[in-house]
Amino acid sequence: MRRLYIGGLSHTVTQKDLKDRFGKFGEVEDVELRTRRDDEGVPYKTFGYININISDADLKKCLTVLNKSKWKGGTLQIETAKESFLHRLAEERQTAAEQRLPQTAAEDQRQKMLDSLSKAGVDNFTMKAAVPGTEVPGHKDWVVSKFGRVLPVLQLRSQKGSRARTLKYDPSKYSHNIRKLDRSTADQPTTDQPTPVTQLTWEVQGGDDDISKKRRGEFPPYEPPTRKKSRTDVVNSHTAEGRTRLKQTVDSVDGTEAHQFTNGCEPPTDHRLAQGKGPRLTDSDVDSDEEIRRMARAHNPSHAALRQEEEDDKLEVVGLDYLEKSSRARQPRRGSAGDEEENDYDSADTDELFASRKPPPPAQERLTLPTAEQLAGNDTDKKRKTKKKGKAGEEEDNPADSEKHVASRKPSSTQQSEDCDKPGSQNQSKKLKVLPVVKPPSSESDSDLDDDEEEEELESADYSSDSDYEAMFSNVTRLELSLADLQRLAEESQQTCKTTAPSVLGASPEQETDLPSRPPERPAPKKGTTPEEILAALMEEDSSEDEQKKTKKSKGVGSAPLPAFQGTRALDDRSQTDECPRRRKAEEEEEKEGGRGGQVKKQKLHSEAPQLNHRATGGKTNGQKHSATQDTSSEEEEEEEEEKAKTVSSSSSDDEEEERMEANPTDVRAKAAATASSSSSSSSADEDEQEMISAEAAVKAAPPPAPHSESSSSEEEEEEEEDEEEEEEEEAPPRAALGAAEEEEWQRKANARRLAAVKQRQKEAEEHKKLIQGALANLDAPAAGAGKHIVFGSDDEGDDGVGNDADKKQATSEVTTSKKTLFQDSQSEDEATGDEAAVNENATTQGKVRLKPSGPQLFGGSENEEDADEEEDGSRFDIRPQFEGQAGQKLMELQSRFGTDQRFRMDSRFLEEEEDKEEESEKKKSVTEEEEALDEERKKNLSILQSVLGSSQHTCSSKTAGKAKTFRDVSALHYDPSKEEHAAFETKSDETKKESKAARRKKREEAQKLPEVSKEIYYDVSGDLKAVFGQTKKDDVAGEDEKTNWDQEEEQDDAEEGGKEERPTLQSSLLFADPSAEKEEASGFKFSFFGDDAETGSGETEYKVESIQAPKVSWQQDLRFHDSSSDEDEEEQEDEEEQSNVAALTTEEETPSKTDLFFFYPEDSRLTEGPRLFCRSSQLEEQREQWEERRSELRQEYRKKHKDARRKLKSSQKS
Amino acid sequence: MRPLTDEETKIMFEKLSKYIGENIKLLVDRPDGSYCFRLHNDRVYYMSEKILKLATNISRDKLVSVGTCFGKFTKTIKFRLHITALDFLAPYAKFKVWVKPGAEQSFLYGNHVLKSGLGRITENTMQYQGVVVYSMTDVPLGFGVAAKSTQECRRVDPMSIVVFHQADVGEFIRNEDTLT
Repeated sequence: MRRLYIGGLSHTVTQKDLKDRFGKFGEVEDVELRTRRDDEGVPYKTFGYININISDADLKKCLTVLNKSKWKGGTLQIETAKESFLHRLAEERQTAAEQRLPQTAAEDQRQKMLDSLSKAGVDNFTMKAAVPGTEVPGHKDWVVSKFGRVLPVLQLRSQKGSRARTLKYDPSKYSHNIRKLDRSTADQPTTDQPTPVTQLTWEVQGGDDDISKKRRGEFPPYEPPTRKKSRTDVVNSHTAEGRTRLKQTVDSVDGTEAHQFTNGCEPPTDHRLAQGKGPRLTDSDVDSDEEIRRMARAHNPSHAALRQEEEDDKLEVVGLDYLEKSSRARQPRRGSAGDEEENDYDSADTDELFASRKPPPPAQERLTLPTAEQLAGNDTDKKRKTKKKGKAGEEEDNPADSEKHVASRKPSSTQQSEDCDKPGSQNQSKKLKVLPVVKPPSSESDSDLDDDEEEEELESADYSSDSDYEAMFSNVTRLELSLADLQRLAEESQQTCKTTAPSVLGASPEQETDLPSRPPERPAPKKGTTPEEILAALMEEDSSEDEQKKTKKSKGVGSAPLPAFQGTRALDDRSQTDECPRRRKAEEEEEKEGGRGGQVKKQKLHSEAPQLNHRATGGKTNGQKHSATQDTSSEEEEEEEEEKAKTVSSSSSDDEEEERMEANPTDVRAKAAATASSSSSSSSADEDEQEMISAEAAVKAAPPPAPHSESSSSEEEEEEEEDEEEEEEEEAPPRAALGAAEEEEWQRKANARRLAAVKQRQKEAEEHKKLIQGALANLDAPAAGAGKHIVFGSDDEGDDGVGNDADKKQATSEVTTSKKTLFQDSQSEDEATGDEAAVNENATTQGKVRLKPSGPQLFGGSENEEDADEEEDGSRFDIRPQFEGQAGQKLMELQSRFGTDQRFRMDSRFLEEEEDKEEESEKKKSVTEEEEALDEERKKNLSILQSVLGSSQHTCSSKTAGKAKTFRDVSALHYDPSKEEHAAFETKSDETKKESKAARRKKREEAQKLPEVSKEIYYDVSGDLKAVFGQTKKDDVAGEDEKTNWDQEEEQDDAEEGGKEERPTLQSSLLFADPSAEKEEASGFKFSFFGDDAETGSGETEYKVESIQAPKVSWQQDLRFHDSSSDEDEEEQEDEEEQSNVAALTTEEETPSKTDLFFFYPEDSRLTEGPRLFCRSSQLEEQREQWEERRSELRQEYRKKHKDARRKLKSSQKS
Repeated sequence: MRPLTDEETKIMFEKLSKYIGENIKLLVDRPDGSYCFRLHNDRVYYMSEKILKLATNISRDKLVSVGTCFGKFTKTIKFRLHITALDFLAPYAKFKVWVKPGAEQSFLYGNHVLKSGLGRITENTMQYQGVVVYSMTDVPLGFGVAAKSTQECRRVDPMSIVVFHQADVGEFIRNEDTLT
């Protein structure tokens, strides 16, 4: 079989063509066509390879025949090609396999040999305690050499010339040459068996450190900024610790639990993680195809993205509408964020980057968390970008802090659902994008526990997690864990990892792999020393789950499958059975904390809780704490995966974090301070977050602030709250010095207090609502005390001073304090005064009071004062006489310089009266002149500009864009009737209506008139109507010519009128026309559009005269024809008109209906007249005579001319 | 000081229109007051009516500058844009070129912008289109003329000139004495 290269093919050649072409010479087995294309995809080269069974002779023939022959527009070029790679490979393998066979035979021999040697006491070619040089018993040609090594005696063929045919080489004689080598080298294959090629590839042994990795050619994928790297390292160590801890816990519980644990972790493999892990570099040497493919898949898009980015980086091209960023404003913020700047810079590509980002390849322990960290970092970045707020003084180095930072930011996103929507959706979309690349089931716990298992899992990619999960759960044997057990567990774990940082604690294996901000959640069960703490921790999880649900609800992503809630069930169940009141309380608190301000959410939560409980009772009744928590955690993870909502998880983690801060007092204080500082530093941070922190701070701030908040609830307004919070935050740090035991107690108290405060606040809010409702209701109702209307500047005010004062107080208080207090006050005072209308007045006075510039009333003193003020108030808004007019305006200006100080009140005395009116007018004149000049100049400029722009095309094209730029605030646009320009906004519908009406009436009148006119015409010819019939004269003529052919009419007309008056053109003959007549005619024509036309038509049927002329007249009315018609003409026509008008008018209106038609109608004159054209009109003889006459004439003429010509020619020749 | 003649106005507008197109209209017809161009010592000044009136009090030979100098007419009656006009033209610029931080200084020293220094460019920029040069932080640096169209800019080698230097803010220092 040969392989031929065929070049110079045309692009249209198909495989079949080739096959047919070469089939003549041999059997074509395989045809491979290749087409090279350039960048635009245009093929420029096509060639092919064929495998052909061909003899040498045939090949020669083939080459001679086909080589360099033309085929389908290309010159064939045929060469023998190398075997196809695949073929060669196959052959190679085959030969290798063949070779192996004899090898095995040799091996058998060797084996026999070895056996026999071993029988003789030789073990591994060494004979212990044997003297060198002795023969091995039973083996003649084996000698014991130095070190007891058994060596063969060699028979060497001697070289030519020597006597002996063979040389005997006895190694024992040269045994001093033998050296004992190191064990390591001795390990090398000693046999002469050829090492297979596959094993020839060498491998650099080495650890998991970066260097050795690189040596092995495994380079870490794109590494995020250095900060993160360092962070990841830190966290990595954490994770390691966490893992050990986990192992311990697992050990401590029995095997079943461990099993369950792993199982529980399997399904919730994180997509994110998997994606991050995409091109995971496994330590195991098994590189399955699938894995490679997967890697490639993961690589490609990322590479593409990166490349794209690079290209863009080189030269950015922006559209015309490119908006310059206010970078200078943003920079300082960025600067504070430190190395996040880089990420900020190409914000648009973060998603891509994000997706493409791969975990550092190192050991599997490292695999996941770093990515998670990155994710977290990115998340924050993105957040920052979207929210456009930077956090100053942020401690980026500390991973825990940053985590917290993430967490603290998250609640805003979840609780303020508007905020959350954006990033959430982003995340979602991103996730979706990533998903295809990702393999769903990759277990983190597995990676810890069993690598092989992981491999298996990876390979079994197609199993549906849901069903599997369910099945798994059915298999799981649940552990019965009492509270005491848990405690013991926790203690154990605490011993191991008491010293580690909270964030470290948080890094439980699942979370490491899963999400970065999660970790804090985990530690709880292990960390807690006391049952309360454990409970708290458990609750954290619960709350987190609740949070998740909440967020899920708010997001409207309700696609979470059932199994996700199983854990919750168990947990809830457990919580119910436990029925720990404190826990309940705490839960409530948490809920409140989570959904502060959002009562609805809370309600939802509650409504959902029973549901869950119900389900739980139906399902598994045994609530195991540990398994349950683990389940929940895993389920949470799964949920997250399914939802692909990072915000959710982080938010939950956030809550947990905060919760944990409470639960773990030892850690909390420092952290609280940190968060507090961060929150305070972030001025633009959302209120919720601040509130939460502040609430905590308040709780921590012990007695003083709490009662304060309770008692003076009025001061706890939203506005003031922040200040308070900060105050409390300031207070918080010193509190940190409290003892741990004290702390606990105190914390409990604080919780209770906070709860109370929250309740109080809710109550207030409700009250507030009620008040507003009441007030509004009153507003709607007719005012009882109608007489107490407050009019600006009215004297009545003094009368109802008390009521007003109350109102005013309210109003003023409103200005400063919050509405709650306002309404409380107002209520009480309303009751006191018993004035129902107070609310109404309140509304009016509020506005008034706000207008007041001076502040004395704000802090309203005694009523007397206010009474006095009140009276003054009335007059305050009067325009003082001295401020009237133009001079007054000036005075006003003057006074305004001094503010509202009473001492500087201006009088007319202050007015300077130096201005002469004349001067002023002169000035005005000059000013106006100048202005005019300027205006003119501007106009001129604009016109020049117009010409310039007109000449240059490219500017003209974008003119519209320029127009669009001139922004006009529509909302600020108000109609001012005094302005002339605004007349444009007025609608003049009435006028036009009238006009149209009038016009219509007129028309109608006309329409009605005309029938009358037509009546009159028959009996009486009035002077006015004379004109009307002026044009009908011709119609009359036409009437006379009734019987003439329609195409001959013109000629006849021509003849007629040519006789009377000499008309130069045919067309003009059709026009008779004095202008008045035409006008009338025109009007008549116009009038025909109306319905009356039909009436007249029907009425005049009897007078119908066939005439074809009328329409022509109407058609050919044109002013230019007037010129041609002379005046005399008209006069004459007029004479005729009078005689012929009777007949004419009827035709005028009837004929158009028929002759206008383009199509023929029955009995069409055209049909009858047309054929006549083809007939001879005169006798044949007559024609002949005419013709002969003509002929003779022509002949004579011709002769004459001929003679003349001859004569001329002769004369010319002569001359 | 006198208003520009039609011819001068035309020449000047033609020049300005290379940079800001029809946005000249916004300079001539401003909503915030009447502004005008005045010629003084061959230089074109752009000023508000108010300043114009104030300037009438100063004799012609003593008047150094009034308002903002937009540029000057050369002896061959061509209009040459001065950097002082940047503040008025930059906001209306239609075509912009952003230079990389490394190339900023070079441009500010009066050199042309090379492809290597080109950070960003408005799409559809024609060849020889007047452009306003920005730094990457969107600080206007001066005027230039596109030596290559946007499409060409993608192709050319890094050392080729893409924007011809016309005026830059470095002139405020370099030509301090003549810049009015």
